[in-house]
Amino acid sequence: MDKKADLTPMMKPRSVAIIGASRDPHKVGNVILQNYISAGYEGKLYPVNLNANEVLGYKAYKSILDIKEAVDLAVIAIPAPAVPGALEQCGKAKVRSAVVVSGGFAEVGEVELQDKITEIAEKYKIAMVGPNCLGVMDMRSKVDTLFLPTKKISKPKVGFVSFVSQSGAVGSTVLDVIAGEGIGLSKFISYGNAAYIDEVDILEYLMNDPETKVIVLYIEGIKRGKEFVELARKITKIKPVVVLKAGRTSAGTAAAHSHTASLAGDYAVQEAIFRQFGFTVANDISELLYYAKIFASEVKPKGNRVGVITNGGGAGVITADEIGSSKHLRMAEYSPSVKKSLRRIMPSLVNITNPLDLAGDADAGRYMDAMNALGSDPEVDMLLVIILYQTPGADPGVTREVIQKKITLSKPLLVVTVGTDYTLRQAKLLEDGGVPVYDSPISAVSSLEALFEYAEYKKRH
Amino acid sequence: MPLLDYMLAKKLLEKYKIRSVDSKYVESADDAVRFSAGGKIVLKLLSDKALHKTKAGLVKLGLKGEGEIRAAYGDLSRRGKSLRPYKILAQKMAEGGVEIIIGGNTDRQFGKMLLVGLGGIYVETFKDVQLRLCPITKADAEDMLFGLESRKIITYDGKAEEEVVELLLKVSKMFTENKRIVELDLNPVIIRQGSYDAVDIRIIV
Repeated sequence: MDKKADLTPMMKPRSVAIIGASRDPHKVGNVILQNYISAGYEGKLYPVNLNANEVLGYKAYKSILDIKEAVDLAVIAIPAPAVPGALEQCGKAKVRSAVVVSGGFAEVGEVELQDKITEIAEKYKIAMVGPNCLGVMDMRSKVDTLFLPTKKISKPKVGFVSFVSQSGAVGSTVLDVIAGEGIGLSKFISYGNAAYIDEVDILEYLMNDPETKVIVLYIEGIKRGKEFVELARKITKIKPVVVLKAGRTSAGTAAAHSHTASLAGDYAVQEAIFRQFGFTVANDISELLYYAKIFASEVKPKGNRVGVITNGGGAGVITADEIGSSKHLRMAEYSPSVKKSLRRIMPSLVNITNPLDLAGDADAGRYMDAMNALGSDPEVDMLLVIILYQTPGADPGVTREVIQKKITLSKPLLVVTVGTDYTLRQAKLLEDGGVPVYDSPISAVSSLEALFEYAEYKKRH
Repeated sequence: MPLLDYMLAKKLLEKYKIRSVDSKYVESADDAVRFSAGGKIVLKLLSDKALHKTKAGLVKLGLKGEGEIRAAYGDLSRRGKSLRPYKILAQKMAEGGVEIIIGGNTDRQFGKMLLVGLGGIYVETFKDVQLRLCPITKADAEDMLFGLESRKIITYDGKAEEEVVELLLKVSKMFTENKRIVELDLNPVIIRQGSYDAVDIRIIV
């Protein structure tokens, strides 16, 4: 694959110029500069503004050409008709990458204007993302071209999930929810119209990025089918990719000549290709997050047998049903020695079955014993722990035990918990402690299944 | 887009060891009776002017005995007068079993895609199909079958499963190697007693 331009200067810039950095706090360019300052970005910042000598305390430049030092990234937030001129100047100034946040290009029919900036990016080999995008964010280098007021969006913690979104709106929503779900973020790239850098370039960069261990992708259309396939083949051998593809309901081709042609619509074809090359396909934003969360926990299952621990009988049965009706998973059968030792430790009211119902009075000690037993049982590949905090014994002690166990356990472990204030506080503690938490057996089971399917894919390909 | 002549299409399938029902162009009622050799046959009128054979009454199923065959042949040749040039294809009747569809389509972005699903009258209703980009691997073929809701109907025994996996690999190979094929339908393919036969073949080049 021919490399258009490296994205490293964009994600790890030593210097950033903001073209259109206005003094007016309501303007996008001002918000972006403000965000860089409040995020604590440590490189050099150069506001570019025709009508000001200083913006937010930084010396302003009339043109990018006036900046004497090298600029790694230019963020362009000016009206569309002025973008080609500004980008041309970036080229002359040897700026290595650019994010064009401005709208007003192909998305409103201004195809020629867009073609013009594509040509300029090609000519100067500027890694250009956009136009019409939110831009990029790197949690480690503190690059943040997003023009979202920080008080309206929660900032995720630093982690290893990178999120790529064609749409800016879906991007900012997911970003907010990622923070709320306790998923650690590495990079965020919203690429808008993909006039130059597209999903293939971005995925290739993330494939080789050591700070990215899980890729989450929201995509509306694929531009270069053949190159996408070539990359898809390689990428899932290295790290998991969770994808949400819009356009499920788009009408199939009208000129279908055969059954096959009418059944192989654009969406069906793309979904098939995602599955063929081991992508995890999500049907909506919540699934996207469920899957991202389980993959972020970075533990691979050895098999498909699930051990369920619960302090509520009903929740255990619902979970067992869900596992029973899943495509790949099944309920584990404990090994005889584990059964025997469980029988010895557990009070007589606890039946040694799967689900293992620890009863309503189960406390931290009983959870610990159960997790230790199933954790060491070679017949159990994954642990699904249900904690109903409404019961008397379930307290922060249980939360602590689960977090402890998760650290040492080499099998996937997740928690299902349902409730309001008290429960949500415990769920937050669990997530901060690295334990994936789900609010329903359905989402938990389908996430374990996604994890298993990916592990199988890697084994077979 | 021209349809490949039926017997040429059948020959191409044979080259890839893909089985299809015994078929022959017949020139006369006598010819058709001889072909039947006492068994049940199907007569089809093939013409570029008639795209929907079944709808136009150009397919005669389950013909048994000289009387039925002669009558059907006579009817088809009368209808054929307005559809010249045409040919009448005689095929041995495949009965029983489960009908599946195997197809190929060229996606404008990704290229050649292979499809499998429950066939016959269910194709359009349930749309229970699996697609993969060609060429497929054995693991892909197995995943395709596993991904079908109707997998238990199609592969009711282990032998049938193996057969279909092999068949998918052969069709993928044929589709991939013959650059000129843009679209194909083997619909239905009848699976029975651990074996299969392609009954209708459409290859568009």
